[in-house]
Amino acid sequence: MSVLRFSLVLTILLVFASQTFVSLTFAQTSEYEATSALADAEGVVVSAYQAALKAEEAGANASGLWTQLNKAGEYLARAHTEFRLGDFERAADFANLGKSIGEEVKNTALALKDSALSESLQRMVPFMIASVVSVALITLGSLWVWHLLKKITATANFRNRIRVVILNEYQILS
Amino acid sequence: MNIKSYRDWFIVGTLALMLLAASPTLATFVHLPSDSAKFSELWLLGPGHKAEDYPFNVRMNVTYSVYVGVGNHLGYSAYYKIDVKFRNQTQSLLDTSNSSPSKLNSTYEFRFFLADGKIWETPLNFSFQGKPSSVRHISVNGIAFPVNLSSQWNQTLSGFYYQLFFELWLFNMTAQRFQYHNRSVGIWLNMTNGA
Repeated sequence: MSVLRFSLVLTILLVFASQTFVSLTFAQTSEYEATSALADAEGVVVSAYQAALKAEEAGANASGLWTQLNKAGEYLARAHTEFRLGDFERAADFANLGKSIGEEVKNTALALKDSALSESLQRMVPFMIASVVSVALITLGSLWVWHLLKKITATANFRNRIRVVILNEYQILS
Repeated sequence: MNIKSYRDWFIVGTLALMLLAASPTLATFVHLPSDSAKFSELWLLGPGHKAEDYPFNVRMNVTYSVYVGVGNHLGYSAYYKIDVKFRNQTQSLLDTSNSSPSKLNSTYEFRFFLADGKIWETPLNFSFQGKPSSVRHISVNGIAFPVNLSSQWNQTLSGFYYQLFFELWLFNMTAQRFQYHNRSVGIWLNMTNGA
């Protein structure tokens, strides 16, 4: 009878102990998950920021990207706040929300960058052609003007020389 | 008249014309550095959105508000973070001599992206729970944070003084982390029991 009572008490104790250990393990897993979710989200948001910067440099209108990224930033800040308060579940949730926005922004930014680059190339081609043609025309025109000037001055010099010779001969004869 | 004596002038004129003709294309490839100053602004305004009526004599469980704002003049879109910190008179403040932030942990934070030439501004509502000599919690924008901070009675100024301050951090692409941007603003608060 005493053995039976002892086993019953032991079972109850084990059940209570297991609950404590299980909840501790869950809490630790949750903190680990939150830390990793935060690190992931921060990485994604930073790469989205880099992509948005490149899109902006390429000439894309990135104002929509900044608005979206600000939402991701708000979630990230909230995730850090919840983490500091010890609510790891909510921290991970907010981090994941920030991460999903970051991923969206990154994809949009890459597409915007590509379209901005092709648009700027299309805009640039006529300018480049016009510049090359203008430079070529100026080069050819200058060469032509130079030769023309050389010819004119040579003729003028020749006429001057003839005039001098005639004058000299006239002076000798007279 | 000797045309060869004008040759150099002629070449210079031609090159100038060529440069002028190629300038639209060159402008897309050559970017001259701007000599304008690059900086960020950080400001704190009172509840009326003006630089006046800042909360000073504060009571427990009463909500006060201020506006915190940032202006970006860095020449590129920046990723900022503002750390909101709370301290008593004896705790460390940021060290302006070597541009380092306060060693205190932040209570609350803001993260945002700001295009060049734009400003960002947000309201910040805060309240305190506890006693003037010992603040147990600070609530920022509806979230309560345990602080458990006590302050000594200031004989000279007759009050229990605390400071709520804001540090501006900027994301550094090279270092791949936030770095203190050497900007901070704050307000001193005299905790009172008054009804």
